[in-house]
Amino acid sequence: MKRATLAVVILLALFALPMVASGYILYLANLLMVFVVLSLGLNILIGETGQFGLAHAAFYGIGIYTAVLLNNATGAPVLVTLLAGASLAALIGLVLGAISLRMRDIYLALSTFAFGEAVRWVFASWTPVTGGPNGLRINPSNLFGFKLVTDRDAYLLVLVVTLAFLLLTIQITRSRLGSAFRAVRESEIAAAAMGVNVRGVKIAAFALSAFYAGAAGGLFTTFSSFIHPESLGFMTTIMVLTMIVVGGLGSVVGAVGGALILGLFSELLRQLLSFQEIIYGAILMLCMMYAPRGLMGLLERKQAGR
Amino acid sequence: MSDLLALEGIAAGYGSIQALSGVSLRVTTGTIVALLGSNGAGKTTTLNTISRVVPLTGGRILFDGEPIHELPSSRVVMRGISQVPEGREIFARMSVEENLVIGAHVRRDRAGIAADLERVCDYFPVLKSRFRQMAGTLSGGEQQMLLIARALMARPRILLLDEPSLGLSPIMVQQIFKIIRRLNEDGLTVLLVEQNARLALAVSQYAYVMENGEIRFEGRSADLVKDDGLRRTYLGV
Repeated sequence: MKRATLAVVILLALFALPMVASGYILYLANLLMVFVVLSLGLNILIGETGQFGLAHAAFYGIGIYTAVLLNNATGAPVLVTLLAGASLAALIGLVLGAISLRMRDIYLALSTFAFGEAVRWVFASWTPVTGGPNGLRINPSNLFGFKLVTDRDAYLLVLVVTLAFLLLTIQITRSRLGSAFRAVRESEIAAAAMGVNVRGVKIAAFALSAFYAGAAGGLFTTFSSFIHPESLGFMTTIMVLTMIVVGGLGSVVGAVGGALILGLFSELLRQLLSFQEIIYGAILMLCMMYAPRGLMGLLERKQAGR
Repeated sequence: MSDLLALEGIAAGYGSIQALSGVSLRVTTGTIVALLGSNGAGKTTTLNTISRVVPLTGGRILFDGEPIHELPSSRVVMRGISQVPEGREIFARMSVEENLVIGAHVRRDRAGIAADLERVCDYFPVLKSRFRQMAGTLSGGEQQMLLIARALMARPRILLLDEPSLGLSPIMVQQIFKIIRRLNEDGLTVLLVEQNARLALAVSQYAYVMENGEIRFEGRSADLVKDDGLRRTYLGV
């Protein structure tokens, strides 16, 4: 009951935010929600299913470029551009998942990393389409004929979509598929012995995770005016990975918490761009050493009274 | 009584190593059949060929009169064959409840699954008290119980049990075997692989003894216990 009350209060506050907050705060809120969707997606693949796919930024970028190109060329409704970006990312994720079936652990991590870098290279080199290293201007998105120009305009859309993804994640986690994800993570042999379709489950995790990343990309385009391939490299994947590790792998609340905390952090540290990587590295290391199960692990331990 | 499971001259191998050759055995409905033998005799491989984890290179496997040796492993589970693997292949970072529920992964009848959750906890009351706990925090004996309980959740007609006594204290072994006997009395057919021959012969009605991937002896368990030569040579009892 108390939890439900808390959830309602938070929801009301989130919907009321545009009435009191400045444009910068709303920009920050939009950005944090994009991080939340990214984290939820990567958590499905790494936290729930235990597959170390490290191409999240590439799927994020595919979502961004698809949405931008579609929007700039046709002015299609934002929900269409968003869904197109997410679907294309999911499709490519599905193919990557199918190709990666034979690999695991470090080999899987390395090959998906290589895939991510290859995609970034495409973003940076395919100048006629992506604008190459010069980047691409993003025209305002179109929501039922209404142009989303400012962060304030986009806020409610970003909020509603993020909440939808949060609900979807909770549903998946509690479903049969969610159980299958975790069983594959714990023991592929035992999962197969239970009649779980291990290959299908792995591919589904890849595709689903890419769908989230693509949708996050689409959301990004609703409040941003420019995209540059530099921001879609491995560093972004590592940042999202840090978010879910700090939050606690395999926990939905952890993924959201990690995204909010580290997202704020990265915004505060924006002036210290070159130090960011060192700081992420340090956070990741400290987390592995002292809180291997992340903030959720610390919380549970506190509740258990230890 | 008819044969629920029949292996007819099966062969299997890992690469160039022949692990099984010409293994034939029958499990009559409603009985416990023991498969004995020392380490590396091919007992676990035999179970793994039945559950289709290891492919056959020859022979055939009949379940309830129908060939199953070309089905994928998930189909075999659906037909009613559940394997309890050797060692502790539990889902450690999942709750006891979720471990049990995923045992019923091939089933779609929600009401039946809920009812079986109750029924299984009836056999293993200790699991009920640990429902929300992570399975990795259970003791060795409790984990073995969870493995058996999880296999039961698929509502099998035959249970393939691989070394249920491995690494457990004598008291825990007694408990587990008491439950195996009770499950059998309630109608479950069991194929039991065990190194502890004395225990396995005491609980089973019929037994096979394997050596080097072949069946060397078979007979009623009560007779094998009395066979001094066999006991000394193969069973170390």
